[in-house]
Amino acid sequence: MTPTVSASGLSLHYGGTRALDDVSLRLSGGVTGLLGPNGAGKTTLLRVLATAVPADRGAFTVLGHDPGTSRGRQEVRRHLGYLPQTPGFHPDFTAFEFVDYVAILKELTDRTARHREVRRVLDEVGLADVRGKRIKKLSGGMRQRVALAAALVGDPEFVVLDEPTVGLDPEQRMRFRELVAQAGEGRTVLLSTHQTEDVAMLCNRVVVLADGTVRFDGTPGELTAQAAGRVWSSEERDPGAKAGWRTGAGTFRNVGDPPAGAELLEPTLEDGYLLTLDGAGAEVTA
Amino acid sequence: MPVSAGPVSAVLVRPLARTLPWRMIAAAGTLGLLLAATPRLAGEGANAWLAVTSLRASAVAFALGAAFLLDDPARNTTAAVPTRRVVRHGLRLALMAPVAALWWTGALLLVPRELRPPAAGITVEAAAVLVLALTGAAFAIHRGDGARPGQAVAGFLLASAVLGPLLSPGSWALFVTPDDPRWAAAHDRWALLLCAVLAAGALCAAEPVRRFRLRRLMSPSGTSDPSRA
Repeated sequence: MTPTVSASGLSLHYGGTRALDDVSLRLSGGVTGLLGPNGAGKTTLLRVLATAVPADRGAFTVLGHDPGTSRGRQEVRRHLGYLPQTPGFHPDFTAFEFVDYVAILKELTDRTARHREVRRVLDEVGLADVRGKRIKKLSGGMRQRVALAAALVGDPEFVVLDEPTVGLDPEQRMRFRELVAQAGEGRTVLLSTHQTEDVAMLCNRVVVLADGTVRFDGTPGELTAQAAGRVWSSEERDPGAKAGWRTGAGTFRNVGDPPAGAELLEPTLEDGYLLTLDGAGAEVTA
Repeated sequence: MPVSAGPVSAVLVRPLARTLPWRMIAAAGTLGLLLAATPRLAGEGANAWLAVTSLRASAVAFALGAAFLLDDPARNTTAAVPTRRVVRHGLRLALMAPVAALWWTGALLLVPRELRPPAAGITVEAAAVLVLALTGAAFAIHRGDGARPGQAVAGFLLASAVLGPLLSPGSWALFVTPDDPRWAAAHDRWALLLCAVLAAGALCAAEPVRRFRLRRLMSPSGTSDPSRA
């Protein structure tokens, strides 16, 4: 199957800081989760793939189009939906007006068809009832959904979502996960997140990024399997553990290389993620 | 997939007009008109120097407001749309241009006829200052992609307006009065400055598809794509 996105050797520096270092990826249909600690380069990678910022080196294509030229980038953008980490709005616009404005920028110029599409996408994100309300009067969760609607308007084949669940309460997060799962049907969605639960619940594939490099690329099950036999419980913090934290039960959950006779636990995606990071800011002590 | 491929610009005008910082422009324009009216308010104490200086201050005031023209709080949300930045910025400029022309005509007319400096020369000065503000905003977006470069650009412009007359070489004679024999030559230089700033603005208008082009050219391994090397 031809991948939606094919990237090789992407690198980007901000001054002396290496944000991306030789990142190669191939993305096809479904939701791919991009996990990584703060400063791993997730947002930078998403901005590069969304054509919001050009890379220093490397190349990538989206649906066969090369954004390395002005014409190619425009063609890529015709197939792209992008929700940035902190979406900005024109606060005096209503939800409908704002999504309509983005739809025009996405070259949907026929008024009737565009308005139908805007209504469809606002319905899809559950904002049909508040589409006439000004954005400045909407809650944070609703604004996030307006931004998602703006990303999805025009039915793009490749959707880039940068930490869309940050700042949402648990109920809003669940609602948002449903929306992202829906968006992943028949599309390629790249979802950046800090939260392993998002990946476990939504993604058919996960990429772990740390220090600007890809540390893992596989299925959530494969990432979890990385921690098989490497998670154990102890009464005290195990100094030999790569990461360890106190659980609600008062015992410590450790990941790393267990001592002989340790009480092994069932690994989770988070355990696999922490082990994958190993040495890239993954030290967890609580 | 685009639903249809009609002319985006025509459809975009109305919503884009709502996103312009009209309040900021109106405030700056009002201040500018008050400054332009200074010679009239000064009555008999007014002279040619006061008239030309008040018009220069008036032009700077309006340019300070215009520095916010490219501010767009939704810039990151619309960072990856197919409508090119040059079209979006061009439309903003086109929407403001008649307002600026009307405003400047008003400012000129506020200065008593007998004190009014030659319109062509002072208009070139005002245009250069306005274009400098807009180019500054375009440059800030080109380099940093910030949503609201206006404040920083206005600060830079204000500092330039204060320091420019003090620091520019005396031989340039940019800030002369109409009775000075160097007035015509000074406005040749203003016209040159205007062209240079316009050219810089045009360069900043396009969205870059590559970074560090110079380093790329200098580095044998700095190619974007091996197939293009």
